[in-house]
Amino acid sequence: MTRKTVLGEVREVQLAIELIGLGARLQFLEAEVGLSRERLIRLYKEIKGVSPPKGLLPFSTDWYMTWLANIHSSMFYNIYQFMKIHSDEEKVWILIKSYKLYLQQIAAQDSEPILDFTRAYTMVRFFDSDMLQLSTCSRCAGQFVAHAHDHKSGYVCVLCRPPSRAGKARGAKRGAVAGIAGDGMVFGVEPALEGGLH
Amino acid sequence: MNVANGEISREIGDVNLAYMLLAQKLVKQDRVAAMFRLGISSELADMLAGMSLAQILKLAASNFLLCSFRLNEHASMSAVVGEGKDTTLQQAHMAILMSARTLQMQKNTVPA
Ligand SMILES: [Zn+2]
Repeated sequence: MTRKTVLGEVREVQLAIELIGLGARLQFLEAEVGLSRERLIRLYKEIKGVSPPKGLLPFSTDWYMTWLANIHSSMFYNIYQFMKIHSDEEKVWILIKSYKLYLQQIAAQDSEPILDFTRAYTMVRFFDSDMLQLSTCSRCAGQFVAHAHDHKSGYVCVLCRPPSRAGKARGAKRGAVAGIAGDGMVFGVEPALEGGLH
Repeated sequence: MNVANGEISREIGDVNLAYMLLAQKLVKQDRVAAMFRLGISSELADMLAGMSLAQILKLAASNFLLCSFRLNEHASMSAVVGEGKDTTLQQAHMAILMSARTLQMQKNTVPA
């Protein structure tokens, strides 16, 4: 995997810098970048000023089904899918580009990113291994992240059928645009909307 | 009436010009990202990138708007606009629908 040419190594370092900047975990870096663990840790410290945090990559698909997480995941995955079809770059660069576009979209909406880079990466892996799919909403025709092998007919997305708590909190804060991100955090930790989605 | 019509034509021309120039700028900056944002094919993106200002001006001076509604289904449109949704959610919904639409457009143009 390690390319022994100078140019190849420059590319790997560029890739590492890009990934560290976006907040990739060490595990991810080791899997995607052909540099030694020691060099990756050194790079990480230089860029971030701290040692890379320890901890495992998230491994559950349930997180992507919670209300706000599902909205953000769907935004990201739609972008990623487009990029995958139309871009001829390497997969990891497509991921980087899609994630940056997602961040731009969020910035344009004046809200906070809910999907971090590691979650985005893990989600792509879940799609690749057929654990997640895009389901088409029967009301708005949008495509949303869903568990694979869910029933496809009659699916209604989280935006067309928000959970009842979302409606209440929104009613209370109507007009207070600044409160939206805060609301989102509350909904983000709600359990998956089992039953309500299909 | 004629004067008003002339004014409308000019306004359409202005929108066309602004749209074409923005589209060209986006394509030159980042081709694939521009395809995503504009919802256009790679062939069209390449063509836009290669157009001269004279060509753009000529195309823009038309009685027809060159950009069209991308949410061209009543159901999708009302799903986004309706029900007093707050702005952030509305924009998120729009972003998801737009992405799906551009993909659908691309799929339809690819022969099976
Ligand atoms: Zn929907």
